[in-house]
Amino acid sequence: MSLRDLLVLYAIIGVACAIAVLRRAPTTGAGAVTSALATLFVWPLWAPFALGAAKPVAPRRGPDAASVGRIDRALTEAVAAVAGTPMSEIFSPKTAARIAAEVARVAARLDELSALTTQAAFDAQASAQHLKDLEARGAPERTVVTARLQHDSLTRLQQLRGADAQALEELAELLEALRTQLLLARYSGSSADGAGAIVGEVWARLEGLGVAFDVGTGEAAGSR
Amino acid sequence: MMNRLLRSPSEVAKDCREDRDLASIAASALVAIVAGALLFGAAVGSWRGGPQIAFAAMKLPLVTVGTLVLCVPAFYAIAAVFGRPWSVRAAVSIMLVAGARFSLVLLAATPVVWLSVSLGASYDAVKLLAALAYALAGLAALGLILRGLGPGPGRMATVVTFIGVFLLVGGQSAWILRPYIGTPGRDEITLFTQEHEGGLAYQLCVSVGRLLTSVPSPRTGASR
Repeated sequence: MSLRDLLVLYAIIGVACAIAVLRRAPTTGAGAVTSALATLFVWPLWAPFALGAAKPVAPRRGPDAASVGRIDRALTEAVAAVAGTPMSEIFSPKTAARIAAEVARVAARLDELSALTTQAAFDAQASAQHLKDLEARGAPERTVVTARLQHDSLTRLQQLRGADAQALEELAELLEALRTQLLLARYSGSSADGAGAIVGEVWARLEGLGVAFDVGTGEAAGSR
Repeated sequence: MMNRLLRSPSEVAKDCREDRDLASIAASALVAIVAGALLFGAAVGSWRGGPQIAFAAMKLPLVTVGTLVLCVPAFYAIAAVFGRPWSVRAAVSIMLVAGARFSLVLLAATPVVWLSVSLGASYDAVKLLAALAYALAGLAALGLILRGLGPGPGRMATVVTFIGVFLLVGGQSAWILRPYIGTPGRDEITLFTQEHEGGLAYQLCVSVGRLLTSVPSPRTGASR
């Protein structure tokens, strides 16, 4: 088989995959055409993503499983609410997937933080007791200062974890409000401006969570 | 995505392994691969100037994407043989993000190549500079592949076997589509060379020899 034959075979598979991508696309917009074009030329690299289904996500078991479950349900219902309507531009499946991915990343870090705070070495109560003991027996000032720093850092880790869990819960509330707003706009035929504002708010909250995590991680590393 | 690729490659690699938001990651990686290689190609081609800039800008993305297309099945198989039976999507996405990191490093090296060409660097100097940029980019990509493979037995065997395959395929692809800088000592600019100039390793040795012995490069008489 010559190089030319191989290229012809490559092109035939590319055309077949591109047609499949176009047929499977929910809408025939610019995104679907770009995806089909990419499949035509680099099908070994792009077809697994354009045609393959994402791995089903295993149910979460962490302490924030309820919030993440609510977020996932709200996202699925919001996407279903706008499917086939002009509002799908405000809240597309792609936007929902990006939010879900971001939430999964945040939740995974929260799990790590939770696991960390349950370890004996990161127990804020034990560090408070240790500090009290040192002060009671009149330990040198430098030892007490170090123990206090350790206790303060552990307390802040716990506070950060609590604040972020709260933020995740608020995000779930927000996404449920978004779903309801989109359903209302769909059935009443009204404008979805309110939904657009909520989507912006969702992104702002997610960014806020990311920043909080960066700071928290840095401080956690610095305290060690 | 580009920021994450450079600043937290471990996170990106983890997302790839866990099939998290892969379509978005793959799309960004493909864009980065093409854009980085295109600009680096244009910088390399500017040594000769004229149509060579467009030729090199067109051929370098072809070489990079072509090499990835040819190497992806090998990576999938090698990873599976050495104890990492990933999905096709995971294997392809790890290759793509490694390729994107490779191209981003090339993009970072582009101003240096451009500056050296502007300052009148010789053919051999530009060739070696481009080879150095490729080596640095390769190391950056290798770092991401290592993170993608994660800990566990068979990690080094996978990497060493894959590097062997990648260097063979990449080197040969690049050699077939040469010239990128221009044919030294020739005024005409051609899309592909028709000459038999020996292998890639041989040519690099010749260039080092010329630089060390201060033999004039074949640029004399060549048009820019």
